[in-house]
Amino acid sequence: MSGTLIDFCKQLEPTQLKLPTALLQAARDGVEFQHHFPTTRDEAWKYTRLGRVAALKLSPVKINQPANPLPSSETIDIIFENETWHCAEPITGLHIDFSGALDTTAWNACTLQGHVQHINALTAQGGVAIRVDANTKIIKPIRIIHRIQGEHTGLILHHQFVLGNHASAQLEVFFEGTSQDTYANVLFDFFIGVGADLHTDMLQQTNGTHYGFHTQRIYQQKDSTFALQTLTANTHFTRNDVEVFSQEEGTHTQLYGAFIGRENNHIDNHTYVHHTAPNCTSDENYKGVLSDKATGVFNGKVKVYQDAQKINAYQSNKNILLSDSATINAKPELEIYADDVKCSHGSTTGQLDQQALFFLRARGISESKATDMLIKGFMAEIVGTVKSSHIQEALHSLLG
Amino acid sequence: MLKITDLHASINGTEILKGLSLEINAGEVHAIMGPNGAGKSTLASVLAGKEDYEVTSGTITFEDQDLLDLSIEERAREGLFLAFQYPVEIPGVSNVNFLKTAINEIREHKGLSALSAKDFLSLVKEKSALVALDASLASRAVNEGFSGGEKKRNEIFQMAMLEPKLAVLDETDSGLDIDALRIVAGGVNALKSKENATLVITHYQRLLDYIIPDFVHVLYDGKIVKTGGKELALALEEKGYDWIKSAE
Ligand SMILES: Nc1ncnc2c1ncn2[C@@H]1O[C@H](COP(=O)(O)OP(=O)(O)OP(=O)(O)O)[C@@H](O)[C@H]1O
Ligand SMILES: [Mg+2]
Repeated sequence: MSGTLIDFCKQLEPTQLKLPTALLQAARDGVEFQHHFPTTRDEAWKYTRLGRVAALKLSPVKINQPANPLPSSETIDIIFENETWHCAEPITGLHIDFSGALDTTAWNACTLQGHVQHINALTAQGGVAIRVDANTKIIKPIRIIHRIQGEHTGLILHHQFVLGNHASAQLEVFFEGTSQDTYANVLFDFFIGVGADLHTDMLQQTNGTHYGFHTQRIYQQKDSTFALQTLTANTHFTRNDVEVFSQEEGTHTQLYGAFIGRENNHIDNHTYVHHTAPNCTSDENYKGVLSDKATGVFNGKVKVYQDAQKINAYQSNKNILLSDSATINAKPELEIYADDVKCSHGSTTGQLDQQALFFLRARGISESKATDMLIKGFMAEIVGTVKSSHIQEALHSLLG
Repeated sequence: MLKITDLHASINGTEILKGLSLEINAGEVHAIMGPNGAGKSTLASVLAGKEDYEVTSGTITFEDQDLLDLSIEERAREGLFLAFQYPVEIPGVSNVNFLKTAINEIREHKGLSALSAKDFLSLVKEKSALVALDASLASRAVNEGFSGGEKKRNEIFQMAMLEPKLAVLDETDSGLDIDALRIVAGGVNALKSKENATLVITHYQRLLDYIIPDFVHVLYDGKIVKTGGKELALALEEKGYDWIKSAE
């Protein structure tokens, strides 16, 4: 195998974040100890090969200057592109900060795990820290756009979103770009306060040979609600790791995902929900459509800890393969150590419903339009939960 | 309008239609009756172009074209309509949305411009009233959670929307209550004209009290073995199929 993790990090800038020393040291130890990128012998990377990633020649994006403030629009925009970031004017109760200083009280919860997070900690060029004051409702959606431009670009960001008690907000996240051999390692930490509510829609739609690593860690306090819709559309290589820590009673978590792959696309969704507190619910639903030689991975893990009674955890994964050469590796995992819980999980993979296709064609609709309709119909329950109008539009033009 | 000559069709190597001939002219109503498994739905599927069936010999012409040369959607655009014996449920695909696409593809095929949203909606209103289909059903996902009878009404609603030249109704009457039967039959009759034709497949003479056929055919073991007028249906109702089998 080519380059070591240390070599990989060396091509990038040392971290610009003000991380706690212990964490930084843990990341250094991590890459030194692990030395190489994980192989498919590693359970977490069983179906996702990293050889191409290890061989990437990268130059970092230096994010140094804020451009002029963005005009106000129907969203509060934060844009990362071309070595700059842009930000809309702040509003009352909402704090947006680019200094690289993260809320360290929140950091107490965090550790770093795996090479993606280690690389992120060691080479993060920045990120945005968003904080919403307690009891504040931010009505306008907050929109973060990542434009990954230029060949061999590596974009490493660590964002933080702290939602105060009884606050609520809506977030839209975009990943776009058309350049070849690019790498992104973007990590979000979400801290959802007591009784707070965050809805996040994320669209990953990079063209070109882009290698995208997306990590979302969600820490939920009592009676909070967190919903994440991850939509991945025809990306060359995407790995999503979503990890939820339901730390206190009464939380509700919704993780939905829709992924569409074609050609040689590889889309990997890993989720891990930790139920450590009682009386919580989690609802997970991922749907994939793969054509050509595309490959997909779904690995959904739910762990219910010993004292976490009255948990309602629902997980579903359904996939449609449009070609014989497309593959999906799906693995739902339940680990339950409490006795009074309701958990269900299921995964199915099949072809397009041939009866339905015949029916639509027998009504005069062409095969390709009928196929599009059925795919759109299949994805409807996921797409229907997307609140972002921008993402709705993008999906509409994508799905017809 | 439709001429089937010595049609042989098989599925997975099993021959189901074994030399079937039938001719239907514009303005006519034909009924096909026959025991379970005789091949009635197979005939309907072969007409619509279902790819699971292999036509091994025989010809079908529809409006002076070789029907077997046309794709499934081309047949529909040329004016062939099949009301399914078992309508499929399609979650996530709305009834009106798919119908709008269907109508506009058919119009495009005929060289007509697309219907405006307004005209389409008034058409939906008019035609759903014709078959007393609840307006909320029209906009729901195709057949999802519909009752058996509602699915059948929905088939006739689609027929009313698409105004086909030849409608093949495969047991549209089964599962309908008496009132629904009247409504559906009323819908079919209202759409009847000198230019179009209807082929009803049924097990029950009762339907033919409402949709009066010009011809009744008995399909038995893959062939039309007897053809008569409306009175043939009555005789079948009374005597079953045995006397035809033995007369053969
Ligand atoms: N995939 C298949 N493989 C083998 N035989 C099949 C297949 N599909 C249908 N058949 C057979 O074809 C025959 C005709 O079926 P068809 O559905 O056309 O009958 P039908 O006349 O419509 O009957 P019913 O009155 O019950 O609706 C039946 O014997 C059926 O079992
Ligand atoms: Mg039948």
